[in-house]
Amino acid sequence: MPGERRLGILTRLVGPTASGMETKLLCAVCVEVTGVTGAGIMLMSGDMPSGSVCTTSTVSELIEKLQYELGEGPSVDAHNKDRPVLEPDLADPKVPRWLAFSGPAITAGVRAVFGFPLQVGAVRLGALTLYCDRVGPLTDDQHADALVMADVAAQAVLVLQANAPLGTLASELETGGDFQYVVHQAAGMVAVQLDVNVADAMIRMRGHAFAHDRRLADVAGDVVARVLHFDELDLDD
Amino acid sequence: MSRESMLAKTLIELADTLVADFDVVELLTILADRCVDVLDVGAAGLMLAGPDGRLRVMASSSEKMRFLELFELQSQEGPCLDCYRTGQPVVNQDLAKVNGRWPRFGPEATAAGFRSVHALPMRLRGSIIGALNLFHVEVGTMRSADIEAAQAFADVATIAILQHRAKLEAQVVNEQLNQALNSRIVIEQAKGMIAQREGIDMAEAFARLRNQARERNLRLADFARQVITGTRGALDGSAFDGSALDGSALDGSALDGSAPTNSVLRNRP
Repeated sequence: MPGERRLGILTRLVGPTASGMETKLLCAVCVEVTGVTGAGIMLMSGDMPSGSVCTTSTVSELIEKLQYELGEGPSVDAHNKDRPVLEPDLADPKVPRWLAFSGPAITAGVRAVFGFPLQVGAVRLGALTLYCDRVGPLTDDQHADALVMADVAAQAVLVLQANAPLGTLASELETGGDFQYVVHQAAGMVAVQLDVNVADAMIRMRGHAFAHDRRLADVAGDVVARVLHFDELDLDD
Repeated sequence: MSRESMLAKTLIELADTLVADFDVVELLTILADRCVDVLDVGAAGLMLAGPDGRLRVMASSSEKMRFLELFELQSQEGPCLDCYRTGQPVVNQDLAKVNGRWPRFGPEATAAGFRSVHALPMRLRGSIIGALNLFHVEVGTMRSADIEAAQAFADVATIAILQHRAKLEAQVVNEQLNQALNSRIVIEQAKGMIAQREGIDMAEAFARLRNQARERNLRLADFARQVITGTRGALDGSAFDGSALDGSALDGSALDGSAPTNSVLRNRP
């Protein structure tokens, strides 16, 4: 049975011609196979997110961004706990969790989220996040498909990266993924504006985003677009 | 202890080495020693193929065995090599009758006191990774139950080694992935600093960063790291061309000279 699931997924990924694979298909096929509302794949470095490989919609993109910015959420937990993390009712969870993540996710229409670790043997890469716009658990079939999908995605990421020149990110990951480069560019700019190091600049940007109830990526975008200048802000900004 | 419980104990012992601190040589040494302890053989040894496909002696139950295995490799003939080349077991070879097959190895093994030799492949489906050598001090056929048990030991070890290799490879690639991502982060931060200092856009900031790194013969990520930690001036001042660089990191004067050029990365945000 797991063999059939895997075959079905692989056939959809590479198609009848088997002429290469786009990373966005990893998430698209996951949604197609499981029938959930959306999916995203996050890479983790240590216990922190480093960016997303693919997303299927603006909402799944937001889920990845929130987790990247806040360092919490289903993918972060699935990766760190090394097991699936299932929340069938985000607005009314049995265990209170993700205090910062849940509000904006619910506002965007997320009702249930499920994280599955991406791993090959003992090597942990990140996690797959599925979300639904309705409350309710995954069926056994959906759960089994998600596990196989996470496994396939983990191997796909490693195979792609194994073929990349040393020191560079695989071009498929580079073009298909979102590694929040704008946040790091903005951190460099704010560091110069405030004459502080980049770590402190990042803290200042996070603080500003939190105080103004904005996403870190949006604040960073404004910095890079030179709409927002940290050296011209009042102290309580 | 009965033979069956000794076999079972050996398989458990082999499986046990897979859990933590996996060490290929230790696993194969246990395998060689147990073949001698549990099976009716005088000596046992293991050879594994390296990345170049050539066999290497990995473990031997005795010094005499080790010498013979090295001799096999040196003379390029013997049961282990035949087994590795064909992927098929070589069993019950009476050394008194094999001089045509192994003209150099045969006499050497006989002189060392052995009378018959066997070799079993270490293989999983299509991959042959090495071979297990079993030498007898008496003439005679090896019991088929002993051959089966030895092959079972070899199979357990083969699976362990292949899994270990796959795991190592995944680990290495994952580390490379994280390293590549970390390099990109540092490069983006340095781009931001240069863009702010110079009042230029990210594409131009990247072109300048890259040119500066090239002029100094530094990897882009290493140079970017110096830029964001502010150590660049100090490092470059002594090691490179001092004059233009001993000022503050990436001030205008150092950057204006290098005209941006086209780059495959230039259009990136």
